[in-house]
Amino acid sequence: MTSSPDEPTAPHEPTAPGEPTAPVEHSTPHGTAAGHEPAPTIRDGRLLGVDGLRPVSPSLVPARYLAAIPGYVIALALAVGAVVLAAITSWWWIAAVAVVPLAVIVQSLLLTPRRVRAIGYLDGEQELVIARGVMFRTVSTVPYGRVQSVTIGEGPIERRYGLATLELTTGASDEAPSLPGLPRDEAERLRGLLAERGVDRMAAL
Amino acid sequence: MSSALPPGHRRTHPLTPLVTGWRIVVGAVAVLTAQNLAALVGDFTVRRLLIGLGVLGAAVVIGVVVSALSWWATSYGVDADGVVRRSGLLSRTRQFAPRARIESVSLERPLLARLLGLAKVRIEVAGGGESYLDIAYVRSAEAEDLRRRILEVAAGTVPGAGPATVDGPAPGAGASADGGPAGATGAAGAETSGTAAARAPGTPVDPGAAPAIGAAATSSPGAPDPADRPAGEGDLAARARAILHDGVTDGELIAEIPTERLVRSLLRDSSFLLGLAASVIGLGVTIALAIWQEGLSIAILVPLLPAVIAVPRYVFGRIESGWGFVSRVSDSGLRMRRGLANTRADTIAPGRIQRLELRRPLLWRAPRWTAVTVTVAGIDEDEDGGARSVLPVGTPDELASTIGHLAPPLGTGDDLAALERLLTAPARELPGLRAPHPLQWYARRTVVTVLLPGAVVRRSGLLARRVQIVPRDRVQELSVGDGPLARRLGSLDLSVAVAGHTVELDALPRADALVLHAALALDAATARRYTKRDGWPVPPLAAAAPAASGASRTGEGR
Repeated sequence: MTSSPDEPTAPHEPTAPGEPTAPVEHSTPHGTAAGHEPAPTIRDGRLLGVDGLRPVSPSLVPARYLAAIPGYVIALALAVGAVVLAAITSWWWIAAVAVVPLAVIVQSLLLTPRRVRAIGYLDGEQELVIARGVMFRTVSTVPYGRVQSVTIGEGPIERRYGLATLELTTGASDEAPSLPGLPRDEAERLRGLLAERGVDRMAAL
Repeated sequence: MSSALPPGHRRTHPLTPLVTGWRIVVGAVAVLTAQNLAALVGDFTVRRLLIGLGVLGAAVVIGVVVSALSWWATSYGVDADGVVRRSGLLSRTRQFAPRARIESVSLERPLLARLLGLAKVRIEVAGGGESYLDIAYVRSAEAEDLRRRILEVAAGTVPGAGPATVDGPAPGAGASADGGPAGATGAAGAETSGTAAARAPGTPVDPGAAPAIGAAATSSPGAPDPADRPAGEGDLAARARAILHDGVTDGELIAEIPTERLVRSLLRDSSFLLGLAASVIGLGVTIALAIWQEGLSIAILVPLLPAVIAVPRYVFGRIESGWGFVSRVSDSGLRMRRGLANTRADTIAPGRIQRLELRRPLLWRAPRWTAVTVTVAGIDEDEDGGARSVLPVGTPDELASTIGHLAPPLGTGDDLAALERLLTAPARELPGLRAPHPLQWYARRTVVTVLLPGAVVRRSGLLARRVQIVPRDRVQELSVGDGPLARRLGSLDLSVAVAGHTVELDALPRADALVLHAALALDAATARRYTKRDGWPVPPLAAAAPAASGASRTGEGR
């Protein structure tokens, strides 16, 4: 729970006097003197992300298609049902309802590759950065020292493609983001890295 | 009898089955009647009544017997590693609260237990959800001892305790370790004792209890703490007072809320009043409609019963969560006591606080009252009146000393002035980050995010002002969220997660949000490691002269 003994122990010294300081001036209580690399800064490009973000395996695309098949079947059945209902009753407008499940299928077919390409991660010096989402994009940062547990999950479809999902838990109540579509070796490597660095840098709550 | 117990283990009080069994019976009766009340009232006969009473009696017997069996199988033990509780007759479970993970210990006294002189000891353990271990029920005095012992066991990690307490003898010789005041307050020990002595004549604190912390600091053996004495030999008044205040009688007084202020604060809390009025009117209209539609009968009212009960329950809950509130500084943190029917006393250690929230509704601005709640890892959030609220309604001085003893240093020159400014100044005048686009006019006027050297502060709310404080070294994880609308408006959402709570800092200017993220990410990764558990950041007031704040508070009306 406590830090390792060779870590430098900087006393907590409030520095800046006076009124609330301007927020953007980022004076950390401890400075960056301890020789740690600063956290990778998020760039604001076409998509939010950090430099050197690594993509997940491209075989996550077929894996996701395969996993989505039951959903497609149900959506198709709904669409067909709506059309049939429109045909047997005289309420033609019921057929319009079929647009919704079809739209769901089409966007899933078209956008899944982009969504998978948008997932990225970076095992930085201090923390793991996980980015995902195209339209609604989230970039999460989890310092290694805060990771409480690491889980590797492999569903049947993932296993078929040699993929695994890495799930992190931190002390925060919300579940930390999971990272899907990692090749199994890479997932194992990350787990080892998280465990090793987590022990090195374990910080209490 | 005790031969079956492992060494060092004890059973809870033999009256426990009565207290817990009673609950089972009431629960069963409530479930049965709530569903069939209308039918029961409809065809009422003496014979049915007798049958009902018989069933009830059987339920009581069964409930008590089942509870007695589980009581028999339950035992607890406190040793140097933590607290163990064994329970279960058929499938035995062994719950363990390791020393290092004990967050706080609280005493609760539900009404029935209180009448029997029993108390429940709840040990909060770090972790989400139901992460606690209950020892229910033990005698009140024993519960107090148990609390001290558990806190001493945990003392290696409890911030207030000096290193001497770590290897201090555990149970019997509690007085020495207990008296060893707090690394934090130790420096100011002399001043503290001065304060206590100066305050004793003016305040209703009884002379036996008031000098307790002073006596410990100056190690004068003359004035023993009444709670340390065996129950028999203490003078009756002090004992009655100790029972009345659940043992929260020693240590520097931080806040004491008179009933009058509590009631006035509720009458001035517009959201409380509006909620109350809306629910009462809604209920009245519903009942009137039902009667108008169906005619008057009990059958209609039965489904509404939960709602009818909910309103007074809510009001009572609000009153109870602040009734008789007293908080004092103890060696293990802030010790609080509250409650009308069910009383509870709990301790919050400053080192365990993950987030603070200050709230000041519109009509509290004139008397400058403030409510303070905190997030502590392991204590459930939705628990109303639970350990979360550390000051139900406090005057500026009480706020100052509560915050001063709990909040980590914010890093400004004068933290209290900075906080007061954050609470009182219009949001537009505060320096900080606000929503970038003119379309977000409401947020621009009411919400400000300020990064201080020690914490991120979010001020929000138009009428009821809210200030959330997240110490920078408590950040667990960060995420930046982007969306089509945010891109259009030039804003980003940053969510800052601490153990037990996620603070959403939404609609920040894009560039500033990324700079803020970088600063906080660095803190999250490194800051906490430099503040070891023994060396938590000391809250400013705990080290600063408490005499000044104490002296200024003696004149305050209570």
